[in-house]
Amino acid sequence: MKKQSKDVKNRPTSSGRDSKEYFRPKSKKELKEILKNNDILTIIAGGTDLLVSNYQKLYKIDKWLDLDLIDEFKEVKIFDDKIEIGSMVTHDRLVRLEKIKELFPILHSAALDLGSPQIRSRGTIGGNIVTSSPAGDLLPPLLVYDAEVVIISDQEERKVDLNTFFTGPKKNVLKEGEILEKIVIPLKKDKSRGVWKKVGKRKALVISSISLALNIVFDKDNIIKKAKMAIGSAAPVPLRIKSAEEILIGQSLDSIDYIKVAKAAAKQISPIDDIRGTAEYRISVAKNITKSALKEVTK
Amino acid sequence: MKKKGRGMATIMFGFGYGEGFPDHSIAEVEITPDNIIKLRTAGADVGQGFLTTMTQIAAEVLKIDPSYIEIVGQDTHQSKNSGSTSATRQTFFSGNAVREASEELMGKLYHYGSLHFNSNHPELTVNNGEIYHCENKEDKITYFELADNIKKRGESLSAEASFFPKTYAPDKKTGQTEKNYVAYTFMTQVIDLKIDTDTGLIEVLNVYTALDVGKAINPINVEGQIEGGTVQGLGMALTEDQVIKDGITLNPDMTNYLVPSIKDIPNFESILIENEDSDGPFGAKGVGEPTLIAASPAVANAVYDAIGVRIKQLPITPEKILKALEESHK
Repeated sequence: MKKQSKDVKNRPTSSGRDSKEYFRPKSKKELKEILKNNDILTIIAGGTDLLVSNYQKLYKIDKWLDLDLIDEFKEVKIFDDKIEIGSMVTHDRLVRLEKIKELFPILHSAALDLGSPQIRSRGTIGGNIVTSSPAGDLLPPLLVYDAEVVIISDQEERKVDLNTFFTGPKKNVLKEGEILEKIVIPLKKDKSRGVWKKVGKRKALVISSISLALNIVFDKDNIIKKAKMAIGSAAPVPLRIKSAEEILIGQSLDSIDYIKVAKAAAKQISPIDDIRGTAEYRISVAKNITKSALKEVTK
Repeated sequence: MKKKGRGMATIMFGFGYGEGFPDHSIAEVEITPDNIIKLRTAGADVGQGFLTTMTQIAAEVLKIDPSYIEIVGQDTHQSKNSGSTSATRQTFFSGNAVREASEELMGKLYHYGSLHFNSNHPELTVNNGEIYHCENKEDKITYFELADNIKKRGESLSAEASFFPKTYAPDKKTGQTEKNYVAYTFMTQVIDLKIDTDTGLIEVLNVYTALDVGKAINPINVEGQIEGGTVQGLGMALTEDQVIKDGITLNPDMTNYLVPSIKDIPNFESILIENEDSDGPFGAKGVGEPTLIAASPAVANAVYDAIGVRIKQLPITPEKILKALEESHK
């Protein structure tokens, strides 16, 4: 391993665009060629996580794969039954897309709460998913909207349900040589109502202490037909709260037992003590914001 | 649910090194023939507006537009000691040194002016960078022309002053003395906030400040000091926390050591009280550090007003609020 040196004179300077091993394909086809001929590539999208986690040790990265010239990965396509969002779509673009605001209001709100204007302008939806932080702001909304991801390699293409994508803190099912191409969210006919809550110690540029996404479909008699709920920053992965969902289905507005739902949510999460909050705090807040979110959505 | 609260705190702050230390500042002012007044001070501007304040003081005493003043020698190789930018002391110490040097130079303007007009000083008027005889206002000479004239005689229009007040060492047994610090700044703040009882998060809404500044040499800069200092104080009150475990700091970065962001900053309304009651330049007092102090007690009082719980350890985190709320409901 190269030793990190504080001596500026001896610090290697060949990194990034200076290097002949900095790949910047312009199409999916070119990308596949590069994947075929190289192993162990460090993939960079917006760089808002990668550059921070590799601060002062970027020179250790031998081979870069920069996705920012692949226009196919920046497309947003709307079909009758689904919407496809390219992995290189930035948070800022998500916020500005009227269709996202209209069809997926929780995703819109979460993108608006993410980081700062600078981070939103660089960071991408694909990066947020691949980083796989339990605190990733877009992840609970994507879970409640039943998102799937399309993963490609030089050989094949596969589709993975986001519910099974995350395997641990900053871990996921992606294998070496696989790239996240796009996110597919089904468009449903039912009208739904959603709530997004991000709890952080300040109003901007903050990693959430806990977050919650709730999306509910009522039938014509105001009975809950479908309920989807997910919580972030309270388990090794962003988590669907299926126990709470089960309690909610079939309930009418005035029959919801808020405390029961809140308790179910608190039981399913497994938070830890860290710098952004104690486990005890997160459990209390999970209960409180579950109750508030339900009250807001049924108002 | 959101609960609102209002809290108040009053502070006093003795500034300068005080306590018997030989605290002082030296400044030089020179009128040059090339239309510049050079003001030499080593005081450091760290964003608080020191250079603006010194320029204003020199321009005020010398009765000339501030645009003629150029600060030089911001370097201890080129200028004499001005002391540190710390202890809320630069406006008071360097401001007085600049004022005294400028007064000394004003005396020289009258002296060489009276020689030029072959007259006595009560018959001269010095204003707006010019000297003229009361009886003939058309016959005038600028400071810079005068500087050029006397330069030919091998003399210069320059002055130096050292502001070096007596400070008093505290009694070794009692810690008391006649006057521990050169002057005292007083401030009262009222803070309004809102607590989210779901999350324990505090949102600061309004900050009302009354600051006894003696004399506001630059009122906008003083308001800036109040706002900047208070926001630092709010960070201390609410989020800033160095977390150490087994000797290791767990949050040695700005991602996890949280200072307020622009979105966390409340509304400000400030009143400047100008009693001109200190020995500072034009009665001014230091306002750097004092503006930080009242935020924490005012926030703690507002929290008590909102939820009826006294929190006695900073920062007042959402965890502490939520725990207090849960305990008070038991």
